[in-house]
Amino acid sequence: MSMALRLYLSNDTSARAAGAGLLADAWSERPEVQLIRTSSRGAFFLEPVVERDSPDGRLAWFRVIPEDLPSILSGRGGTPVRSIPFLMQQTRFTFANFGETEPLVLDEYQARGGLQGLETALRITPDAIIEEVRVSQLRGRGGAAFPVWNKWKVAQQAKADEKYVVANADEGDAGTYCDRMILEGDPFRLLEGMLICARAIGADRGYVYCRQEYPAAAATLRAAIHKADEAELLDVDGEFFPIEVVEGAGSYVCGEETALLESIEGRPGVVRAKPPYPAQSGLFGRPTVVSNVLTFATIPNILSWGGAWHAALGTEQSRGTMALQLGGRVKQPGLVEVPFGLTLRQVLDQFGGGMAPGSRFKAVQVGGPLGSLFPASQLDMTICYDAFAQAGAVLGHGGIVVYDHQTEMVDLARHFMAFTAQESCGKCTPCRIGSVRGVEILERIQAGSGTADDLLLLEDLGATMKAASLCALGGRAPYPVLTAIEHFPAEFRNRLRQ
Amino acid sequence: MQEQVKEILAQEKSKPPNILKALLLLQEQLGHVPVEAVPVIAHTLDVTTAQVAGVLSYYPDLRVSAPGRHLIRVCIGESCFANGCGRLLRTLQDSLRIDVGETAAGGRFTLETMSCAGNCALSPSMIVDRDLHGRLLPSQLDALLDHYR
Ligand SMILES: Cc1cc2nc3c(=O)[nH]c(=O)nc-3n(C[C@H](O)[C@H](O)[C@H](O)COP(=O)(O)O)c2cc1C
Ligand code: FES
Repeated sequence: MSMALRLYLSNDTSARAAGAGLLADAWSERPEVQLIRTSSRGAFFLEPVVERDSPDGRLAWFRVIPEDLPSILSGRGGTPVRSIPFLMQQTRFTFANFGETEPLVLDEYQARGGLQGLETALRITPDAIIEEVRVSQLRGRGGAAFPVWNKWKVAQQAKADEKYVVANADEGDAGTYCDRMILEGDPFRLLEGMLICARAIGADRGYVYCRQEYPAAAATLRAAIHKADEAELLDVDGEFFPIEVVEGAGSYVCGEETALLESIEGRPGVVRAKPPYPAQSGLFGRPTVVSNVLTFATIPNILSWGGAWHAALGTEQSRGTMALQLGGRVKQPGLVEVPFGLTLRQVLDQFGGGMAPGSRFKAVQVGGPLGSLFPASQLDMTICYDAFAQAGAVLGHGGIVVYDHQTEMVDLARHFMAFTAQESCGKCTPCRIGSVRGVEILERIQAGSGTADDLLLLEDLGATMKAASLCALGGRAPYPVLTAIEHFPAEFRNRLRQ
Repeated sequence: MQEQVKEILAQEKSKPPNILKALLLLQEQLGHVPVEAVPVIAHTLDVTTAQVAGVLSYYPDLRVSAPGRHLIRVCIGESCFANGCGRLLRTLQDSLRIDVGETAAGGRFTLETMSCAGNCALSPSMIVDRDLHGRLLPSQLDALLDHYR
């Protein structure tokens, strides 16, 4: 009897939506194959991908349909994974395991260097952990890009009966999916990062606030927590460190850290005024480190390899790698982990592979629904926090969405404002009222009855929202709208009442 | 209904009481959170009815009436916007003869939008019940919905 052939097939939600689930169903009864459900490499334009071992490392077949099985079994037509340009040109550290391991097998995680960061953290003092993170110059990946060590230091020094570690898995920015990939594909990395933080600040409990739209992520994470518990990893200074997954209920603003804490406490997700910052007074009024999933997932390597290793990657103010997530009308949408410092053009060409067939470039939006639009003339922009800040833009959570010639800028601008109007938590007037007024004006322009004064009005409104909103939802909402008007003025003028 | 609500809420043991968790639990088991249940919920959790109503009205995913047998959520996030989610949505509105937020005659489908399914590399996306669909073309919708009776 011949042994069944091991075929690797991703269990990632997007890979399943692309057809991996169909393949699994079709082949599950075949005695000649043994299906191994891994995470996804993030080359989603190739999914569903099927891989098998070979003397050259993994061989891959792309966009597979069930009928492809015979050629895969015979080994015909496979591409060595290490020769796929989209992957070859990346620098995978946080995403090194993707496509390789089974997400919930702790031994595999460990065999590939997992838990070494935690071991280091347990050997050294909390101060030394924070020092390592300071040296790394890691900045938060959720949007605000605040130095991570600083929050840890504040929380460590705060005196309180309890302290908490909260992972922000709300991933509300449309166009982003790297947190989902981590939760589903390498959950132990997130848990390891949280445990290291817990040891550094002396925390008693951990929470992961996971958006409701990610049921598979929440389920995988719960299973990973269970396994970590069985392996007796959930321990901080000799005390059990429980980690709970809390699910959201569809509100974008709940990704804002103070609204998120309100939501974990079971109340409406309304933004709290800062200060006090969560690191001083957070969940239930206790010192709390709230960090993004990708931020926590970056921590284990920093502890394993040292802060200096991390600081050696990237640019002056933006050290390390960034997980860029390509979407919209590029030819090759997917996850791209690279050191900071490439230009937008390089990313779109080298990884995005140019435009999708039949599409002509119009604009690219970076940083989610609150991010600015860039026209073709600005594609030489460097991807790092400082260059973006200088341009009044944000890198946010690394979402990059490309719009083609078919996108009408007036419609897009209205779409942005309607999003803010819908999602405003209502606590501050500039955001609540401003966004509703903004939608009215843009709908007037859409309907052909807008005037030149309306465009001025939008600018005034934008200035007020930027200056006076309580959080970045209202504060940043004008940017995509105003950059659309700035770069595509003719599209707006042509829709005005003549 | 009162007894059933109390029974479900007995599983929610957070201290201090967690209104959102309680409402999500009710919705999971009843399909929605009936407005008539608000006083019982408040009483059981030992909070005010205003607090319960506040949470119930704040969160978009909490629903006060039962949806159709199948819930369709079309993603209108930016990547899906760039990839023609508008056409998808219009096709669905036409073929189901309902607007966003409505339930089709016979209660088979409720149509909603969402802001991102985390499936942006396969835009446009849509979630039916718990199934995620991507790379959708308007022409595929009829066949796809046939799977949901
Ligand atoms: C409206 C709004 C929505 C946000 N949504 C998210 C989110 O979905 N995920 C996230 O990690 N951070 C989000 N943030 C940023 C958080 O407030 C906070 O800065 C972040 O969780 C801190 O983690 P970091 O230091 O690792 O970036 C949002 C902020 C605002 C103003
Ligand atoms: S924008 Fe539609 S799935 Fe992300």
